[in-house]
Amino acid sequence: MLNPDGAGAPAGSRLLEARGIRKSYAALEVLRGVDLVVERGELVFLIGPSGSGKSTLLRCCNRLEEPSAGTLLVDGVDLMSPRIDINRARRQIGMVFQGFNLYPHLDALGNVTLALRKVLRLSRRDAEARAMETLALVHLQDKARSYPGQLSGGQQQRVGIARALALEPKIILMDEPTSALDPELVGSVLGVIRELRERGMTMVIASHEMGFARSAADRVLFLEGGVIVEQGTAEQVFTSAREARTRQFVQQIMH
Amino acid sequence: MSAWDRFAFTFLNLEVARTYWLDIAAGISVTVFVGIVVVATGLSLGLVLAGLRSLGLRVVTWPILVFVDLFRSLPPLAIILVIYFGLPNVGIVLPSLVVLWLSLSAVLAAFAEEVFWAGITSVAPGQWLAARSTGLTFGQTFAHVILPQAAKLAVPPLTNRTITITKNVALGSAIGVSDILGQANSALAMSTNATPLTIGAIFYVILFLPLVVASRRLERRFAWGVAGS
Repeated sequence: MLNPDGAGAPAGSRLLEARGIRKSYAALEVLRGVDLVVERGELVFLIGPSGSGKSTLLRCCNRLEEPSAGTLLVDGVDLMSPRIDINRARRQIGMVFQGFNLYPHLDALGNVTLALRKVLRLSRRDAEARAMETLALVHLQDKARSYPGQLSGGQQQRVGIARALALEPKIILMDEPTSALDPELVGSVLGVIRELRERGMTMVIASHEMGFARSAADRVLFLEGGVIVEQGTAEQVFTSAREARTRQFVQQIMH
Repeated sequence: MSAWDRFAFTFLNLEVARTYWLDIAAGISVTVFVGIVVVATGLSLGLVLAGLRSLGLRVVTWPILVFVDLFRSLPPLAIILVIYFGLPNVGIVLPSLVVLWLSLSAVLAAFAEEVFWAGITSVAPGQWLAARSTGLTFGQTFAHVILPQAAKLAVPPLTNRTITITKNVALGSAIGVSDILGQANSALAMSTNATPLTIGAIFYVILFLPLVVASRRLERRFAWGVAGS
């Protein structure tokens, strides 16, 4: 259920194709022409200092933030088209947040079923069946009836992943999924992300988990000052970066 | 005649009570009816205004703020009197019940809008982001994610406002509405004795005490779960 490859998919292997993305807030230009192209099944890591535009870039990819300029194709569909039904398009793009952003008034099951029922219009029974399957994928089937306030950070984030996953998106964007977690809880979330990758899920993750990037990422992008400074495999970027600025940043996050 | 006897004769006169209590009781249905209609109208209108305001469009927000600030600052009695005695001058004659309904609904809506709005702004912005990212529309997000959380904060002040505005139905007696106080006033005039006011007060307690207790229950019901992140 995770990898809706094949049926009806266009021939091209590019799943996300964002080009020349710019975003300004009044006089402040946060993104200054960023290209983010992600192949089907690829796991891309986005690193960069805080304020470099990582969150903004991810939010521009489903137009939670409106790009000031640029083109945006998701599985061949032009998301910047004036005729696009953006709510429909967003189902294809899962999003996971640093602060989890779970709905505190709903239990884990309710968090996952809300969009299944209201967006996909599934019956309560079907929505709950699918939500339970998805919660099982993040190893939380026994926490379905717990409220966010009763769950640990790691569990909350896994519910957040399940909420995105249940809509069977083509790609999941994760904005620092582990940086609000206590160190001992990071592993459980990274474990789930690794399993998603093995199932072929396409993901873009803003994160500084370098060990994880080394073992799981296909590509690492270094974003600074609203532009991609450098990109390559984790090995290249972390150990033999071409740009001095990249090496300097990598030095900083190693410690 | 001792002071107590004088007091009892004026306020606790059984003779007067026996004569007029049924008339005053007839006012209960008016108070309850107007109260229910005003609460339904005022709360819905307040919610709609707060929802429109959360769209963040200046052309919508501005008139809402003018309405809200105007009706929060005017005394309800002044609004009632102006509409009742003022509008006929421009050819609009409204029955006193309608004037009472419109005035009190507008006042409740103004306060309710502010209460709902405070609740809405207290919800973390990440909730909008998360909900919209799953494809929920603005309206769905508002109804299923934002409002339930805003309600938690809004319910206690709203129940207070609701109780206050229902008691203000008594202001209708100034324009001839025969609610509990209106009936008590008539009986007072006819009997030249204050006992009808005592009876009216007793009816108010019988009517509103359960409401106050119920509102406490409601507040507990809305205190769901543990505070989220």
